[in-house]
Amino acid sequence: MATKNPFLTSSSLPTCLPFASSQSVPLPFPMAHGTTTLAFMFQGGVMAAADTRSSCSGLVACPASQKILPIHSHLVGLTSGTSADCALWKRILARELRLYQLRHGRRLSTSGAAKLLSHMLHPFKGTELCVAATLCGKKMNLSGPRLFYVCSDGTRLRGMLFSVGSGSPYAYSILDQGVHWGLSVDEAKSIAREAVYRATYRDAYSGNCVDMYHITSKGWTRRNREDLKEEYYREKERRKHEKTERRDTSLSDSHTQILLEENREDCWTEERW
Amino acid sequence: MALEDVCSFKERPVQHKWFSFSSLGDAAIPFPKSDYYNLRLETSENNCGVPLHFFIPPLPHSSSFINRPLSSFCPPKNSMTVQRPFRLAHGTTTLGFIFQGGVIAAADTRASAGGLVACPAVHKITPIHSHLVVTSSGSGADCMLWERILIREIRLYQLRHGHRLSIRATAKLLSSMLHPFKGTEMCVALTLCGWDNGPKLIYVCSDGARLQGDVFSVGSGSPYAYGVLDRELRWSLSKGEAISLAREAVFRATHRDAYSGNNVDLFHITAQGWSQRKREDLKEEYYRDKEKKGKKKNDKLK
Repeated sequence: MATKNPFLTSSSLPTCLPFASSQSVPLPFPMAHGTTTLAFMFQGGVMAAADTRSSCSGLVACPASQKILPIHSHLVGLTSGTSADCALWKRILARELRLYQLRHGRRLSTSGAAKLLSHMLHPFKGTELCVAATLCGKKMNLSGPRLFYVCSDGTRLRGMLFSVGSGSPYAYSILDQGVHWGLSVDEAKSIAREAVYRATYRDAYSGNCVDMYHITSKGWTRRNREDLKEEYYREKERRKHEKTERRDTSLSDSHTQILLEENREDCWTEERW
Repeated sequence: MALEDVCSFKERPVQHKWFSFSSLGDAAIPFPKSDYYNLRLETSENNCGVPLHFFIPPLPHSSSFINRPLSSFCPPKNSMTVQRPFRLAHGTTTLGFIFQGGVIAAADTRASAGGLVACPAVHKITPIHSHLVVTSSGSGADCMLWERILIREIRLYQLRHGHRLSIRATAKLLSSMLHPFKGTEMCVALTLCGWDNGPKLIYVCSDGARLQGDVFSVGSGSPYAYGVLDRELRWSLSKGEAISLAREAVFRATHRDAYSGNNVDLFHITAQGWSQRKREDLKEEYYRDKEKKGKKKNDKLK
């Protein structure tokens, strides 16, 4: 099954690819992309955020890994899946895009980059390669920002909002609530930060810090890596304060009915049996 | 059934196959031989100490129980059961939380069987008594049965002892009733939301978990609900805010999760008892939300 891929023969990768059905060692756990990465488009460009925890089925292998990898000045890739595979494929993609730029005198568009990555990953479909990348880019000319999700299964999707990884459901609900086209840059930053924070709060495989990148027509800018521990402690303080408040109110009123609202809305039905 | 028990009515055994302790094998006998709440040792022939009268297939031998594969949904090797066609992931969204005004319980109304929406209007929240409501998740049939059993047991206790069983004790009772079925394919995850000397929220699962907490969400849509709940939940919410938070959490979960959807049911439990909000179709909410976002976009573009 050694397909001659022109991109691969020039590198030092093995030319014969493993068979699709080979699985020498069964996976100990279903690879669920232990991470939280998210990206969304808005009027100010693209906002990308990710946590920084690399986990290896229960062990935090690295608490400060980088999941957002800039590919060139106007394209950033968010990675999820196997860290090793992602790092490699990011480098391959960066190299191919640079070669394209040198040969043709112009940069490849984000959709072109997504298609290229998808075709490069295709021969590995069925193997244990696991890469789920979200490409966020904005070209320098008039075209708008672009967001593509490319997966080693062969998926290539264009969209306005993506979140990948085990923490993605937690992030999705926050993003669905708050993201719309008309966000300001600060609002977008705070929503992205909040979404990653909530995912790290509930998901065991996401955590540590949050990285944020903002991509505009001028290129990408990176925000300082922020440790979410501080945020967690702030929230803990607040909840502790709430608990003492709650204890005080329950002690002071022996009849808790006083706290309850007396008004009943029309849509409440009293069904007793 | 309840009345005959109270009146110590001796029923004639008509093709009764009852729970046999010998089929447990190595597993320890979970309860004493006497009848649960009856302090006098009434050892009726039909009642082996368990207030249940139905057939249970032989439970897996303990060695295969220990050596079973990591995925707890695989049937044991030596049982004759049919291989599950799909992985049961509690295709639902149910949530409950405590705030200053009592307890809110909310759930969607979709019952799914693999990829089919078996029923779009199911009641996942069932009242047990005037101050206790239970939200169910897992296998629909199992949950319905166990809710009925729980209602019966609670009522019997009340009739025998003259006072209501506390929520914590109800949870313990339920947990010990579910225990013999641990390791079988029964799948029940109930959240008891009630009031007894204060709001209570207890999660009971057929795996054996029994947890008391301030906020629980169960099901395939639960991560989506958790994101919204964690963000906004405060003790000091007003009743209206709590209701809209619960509604929003279920809505976001139904939006993203394929196995949750259709309508949302909401119950509010206070010291006066439970009250139910009218079932609301989330389709309307989806369109309102879409319109709102479109409006914001237009406002910004102007």
